[in-house]
Amino acid sequence: MNHAVLAGILFVILENGLVPWLIPPAWSDRLLPHLTFVLTVYVASFAGRHPAFLYGLGFGLLGDVLYYGDLIGAYGFGMALVGYLAGLVQERGQPTMASIIGLTAAGSLALNAVVYLIYRLFRLTTWSYGFSFYWFMAPSFLLEMLIALALYVPVRRWLLKASAPARDEAVS
Amino acid sequence: MTGVVVFIAVMGFTLERSRLTWPEKFVNDAFGAVQGLLYRPVAAIAAFAADIGRLSDIHEENVKLRQTLAQYAQDQIRYNFIEAENKRLKEALDFSERQKRLYDYRLLIAQVVGSSSNAFDRTIKINLGSRDGIKPKMAVTTIDGLVGLISHVSEFTSTVEPITALDAGSPQGIQVAATIFGREQESFGIIDAYDPATGLLQMTKIDENDTLGPGDVVITSGLGNVFPRGIVIGTVESRQVGDFGLTQKATVVPAAKFDHLQEVFVVIVPDVDGP
Repeated sequence: MNHAVLAGILFVILENGLVPWLIPPAWSDRLLPHLTFVLTVYVASFAGRHPAFLYGLGFGLLGDVLYYGDLIGAYGFGMALVGYLAGLVQERGQPTMASIIGLTAAGSLALNAVVYLIYRLFRLTTWSYGFSFYWFMAPSFLLEMLIALALYVPVRRWLLKASAPARDEAVS
Repeated sequence: MTGVVVFIAVMGFTLERSRLTWPEKFVNDAFGAVQGLLYRPVAAIAAFAADIGRLSDIHEENVKLRQTLAQYAQDQIRYNFIEAENKRLKEALDFSERQKRLYDYRLLIAQVVGSSSNAFDRTIKINLGSRDGIKPKMAVTTIDGLVGLISHVSEFTSTVEPITALDAGSPQGIQVAATIFGREQESFGIIDAYDPATGLLQMTKIDENDTLGPGDVVITSGLGNVFPRGIVIGTVESRQVGDFGLTQKATVVPAAKFDHLQEVFVVIVPDVDGP
């Protein structure tokens, strides 16, 4: 879990420092991947719904505070909710690669919908849902799926191996 | 359920607030410092790559710059005369010290250290804070033109809200009073919305008899005292009849770009709020 938190902090920095430079200018308003959200899905899959809830809450709020424009809490709320629900789904069986990618996709759409509804509720955006979906949600969610796919092997190798001995000790 | 209530309360509470509490400042400054270490080298590499790509245009650009420079030299002489005359007239007319210093803007250069991944709130973070005299609502520009205004300030970093966040329907909408370069006294309009799909700003409340037309350079007028005057916003693209038919509206191509930013300038307005 400590490794996951460290990776999360690293991802916050990458998300706002490196990723904007990798995306071509024409797409910079439209491709907005949330790396910490992808990690939240992994935490939900391998650590359960309660850690995922806290993880999503923490990193969502961190993102909100760091890039505070209109309000704080939209991503904190959305990522905590989606993390918890993803954990709930994954507890029904063994997490597989397909279920993680699927959950990232569904979760990304859910998260963006929650954030959209909050901004709509406070009348901070006048975009229609259809436009937002076409404009940035669909491209971002495809990119997030690819990121989840790319992270699958590193996560299994680094984060799980690091936590596996700890779990063994707890059992014995 | 409690969580929902708490979150709605937090969101409502943070909705119209420009001051930050110390935990927020601490988090901002800590991440701002670390992020700068990553963002700036990456930006430098990206800029280098872009420069190599533009190498062939250098000659053309050089010619253009030389012409501009010659023009500047002439304008400088004219400017010096006019400034001296202006100063003399102000003294003759007994301008107060406050009035004289009203347009003494200073530019502070700031490095961008990160940009937001929230589509509804594309803020950027710069490495100047309250220590450097930054205050909320100061204008932020690049060499090309107006980028946005400072929304939240902590000790060493601050957040910039770009003018692409302008929204006529939003309750806390910022509106930029604008005029036309060269006809500052005759033209007036308000920049109050941005359309992400077309990438154009909308300028409203233009008088029917206004001579503004496509190709004109739009600058801030300084009326309304939020933005300093004389900052380039963009170029007029087209003009139509407004929503209610009483005034007209125009679309404006923004001069500055809002992504892949490296360096921005914060415009410091002399502190003349007092009487």
